[in-house]
Amino acid sequence: MTDLSHSPASLYAPDARTRRRNAAEARFRAYGMIAVGIGVLALVILLASVLSNGLGAFRQTFVVIDVPIEAAKFDKSGTGDLAVMKKVTTVGYGTAIQAALVQELAKAGIDTKGMSAKDLKGVISQEAPATLRNMVLADPSLVGTTVPFYAYANGRIDGFFKGRVTMESAALDSNISPQQLVLAQQMRDKGLLTLAFNWGFIFGPDASELRPEAAGLGVAILGSAYMMIIVLVLALPIGVATSIYLEEFAPQNRWTDLIEVNISNLAAVPSIVFGILGLAIFINLGGLPQSAPIVGGLVLTLMTLPTIIIATRASLKAVPPSIRDAALGVGASKMQSIFHHVLPLAMPGILTGTIIGLAQALGETAPLLLIGMVAFVRDFPDAPPAGFFEPASALPVQVYNFTQRADPAFVERASGAIIVLLVFLIAMNAIAIFLRRRFERRW
Amino acid sequence: MNDMRIVERTVDTNQAKMTARDVQVYYGDNHALKDVSVDILDKTVTAFIGPSGCGKSTFLRCLNRMNDTIPICRVTGEITLDGQNIQDKRVDPVQLRAKVGMVFQKPNPFPKSIYDNVAYGPKIHGQTRNKAELDEVVEQSLRKAAIWNEVKDRLQAPGTGLSGGQQQRLCIARAIATSPEVLLMDEPCSALDPIATAQVEELIDELRSQFSVVIVTHSMQQAARVSQKTAFFHLGNLVEYGETGQIFTNPKDPRTESYITGRIG
Repeated sequence: MTDLSHSPASLYAPDARTRRRNAAEARFRAYGMIAVGIGVLALVILLASVLSNGLGAFRQTFVVIDVPIEAAKFDKSGTGDLAVMKKVTTVGYGTAIQAALVQELAKAGIDTKGMSAKDLKGVISQEAPATLRNMVLADPSLVGTTVPFYAYANGRIDGFFKGRVTMESAALDSNISPQQLVLAQQMRDKGLLTLAFNWGFIFGPDASELRPEAAGLGVAILGSAYMMIIVLVLALPIGVATSIYLEEFAPQNRWTDLIEVNISNLAAVPSIVFGILGLAIFINLGGLPQSAPIVGGLVLTLMTLPTIIIATRASLKAVPPSIRDAALGVGASKMQSIFHHVLPLAMPGILTGTIIGLAQALGETAPLLLIGMVAFVRDFPDAPPAGFFEPASALPVQVYNFTQRADPAFVERASGAIIVLLVFLIAMNAIAIFLRRRFERRW
Repeated sequence: MNDMRIVERTVDTNQAKMTARDVQVYYGDNHALKDVSVDILDKTVTAFIGPSGCGKSTFLRCLNRMNDTIPICRVTGEITLDGQNIQDKRVDPVQLRAKVGMVFQKPNPFPKSIYDNVAYGPKIHGQTRNKAELDEVVEQSLRKAAIWNEVKDRLQAPGTGLSGGQQQRLCIARAIATSPEVLLMDEPCSALDPIATAQVEELIDELRSQFSVVIVTHSMQQAARVSQKTAFFHLGNLVEYGETGQIFTNPKDPRTESYITGRIG
């Protein structure tokens, strides 16, 4: 040891010990950068694969035809009476679409020799008659006019233009024939067929296995939104009240220790367990309906509570005790010191914790599967509060649903749904950051 | 505002404002303060001196029951304010603290505007009827704390943006805004530079005309400069209590002498 102080070495040349220390530091930095690099790379690959697979879901092939809605056929009463108009089923609308298509094809001079009327109609989605019928029933004034109609093209045709379906695969496919693909190509050249942004994917309801082109996320987005409302309304006040009580008022004894340990444990309980709990308590015991956002919201509330409580307690703890002393010193009651001084200072942390909890809940799938939200739901739930008790889907469950279906067109839709989910999560995190900044600036 | 009380208090001068009899404080099993009996006079600055950990801050915090906020802390004995036992179960510490204000070691303004800092106490105690009265109280308090001229143009600026000395004077203004009868100061100058310290000391001397001031300090010079009465604490005991001049020039107890001459502490 004493040698060191007498070392004659120059300051310009580092000694062996310093070199070793510097090398260790350089190595450690390199490890850190490698770790960050791996993380970033994984994220880039994930996003690239989701985006490349899923962006296609937002663009869809439409058949653009003018469909004449003849009054004699679609409004037999002639008075616009909806009860009478509803008697015309999708079959009637299907016939009209088929006739219009044949006419448009002839007008465009496309040769359809050797193809039956059924083959021709196969170009258009089976969903089209129902879409047209809903359109007319929603706006009876369309009767007697010619409606410019954007019908979904068959999913295979859509796949053909997105490169998923080829002539070879069509030859082996019972849902589509190479002739129909040739026809579709001709229609596209004549402007009867076009690729456009698909609002139906975001706002429309789910569709059956056979109509991937019509499947949308509307019900799932609404269901998720309803659940988030329930989670926010229940978990935020309960969580914040619990945290304030435990942090500021509760005596330090064995009971509060036990509660604290259990809250931490609760945060680590697998989410599927909460699903079983929800099934047993809310549905079997409480008699709440299956597949309803209210049950999903309650289950997700239970899951989110520990997150909110832990975040809130941490931010309450982080408020300097001098602020509490100051408030008590001027004669504020404990309650006043907390609500006037401590809570506002803890607010950014509480909000961040809450939104992270909500984001977690938004992406949660497993418990929802158990309470029946995996069901196929096509009908939009009503506005709240009644809508809370009606069947709905949820975004992550919809992703799961899409991946379970056989038609390859659902691959793109599953990735598209993931993109929508990610957009919501990013938006929520952005709100968290915004609120944090905003509340912090005030102090 | 409360002229009646001021008139009354001039009559009470040199009478005990607060008295403590056989006060014991325990932190868990630790007997932190032993048999402290002291009379704190009205309109007087009383200084508590002693080495770190001797119990002087603990005793100060007993006087407005701030020790209630520490769960393991237990206080026995009798402490009275104007003859009323503040340890009594019927006494609400919130009301007590409005009468016995406190200034802390580290300046701790609320992260709010200067105005709100001072207005907070009168507001929660409902001492003012309207905005004009509140404005008046805020101005008077800031004037008494000798900071009005520095902040009058920026009352809405955050109190945390002031310098350390200004923050401490703001805290004093906040403490006197509720017109307390006793003002407790826990090492109010330990975080301040000499200039700010001099300002606060001058202020303490002025405040003496209206309040009874109790100050805990590590600086014996400060105790000698500002106080009329001094109490010396050592290892949880009140060793000696008397006129400041007598304590510093002619201490009766050898421990006091050792401390003020720098041999223990």
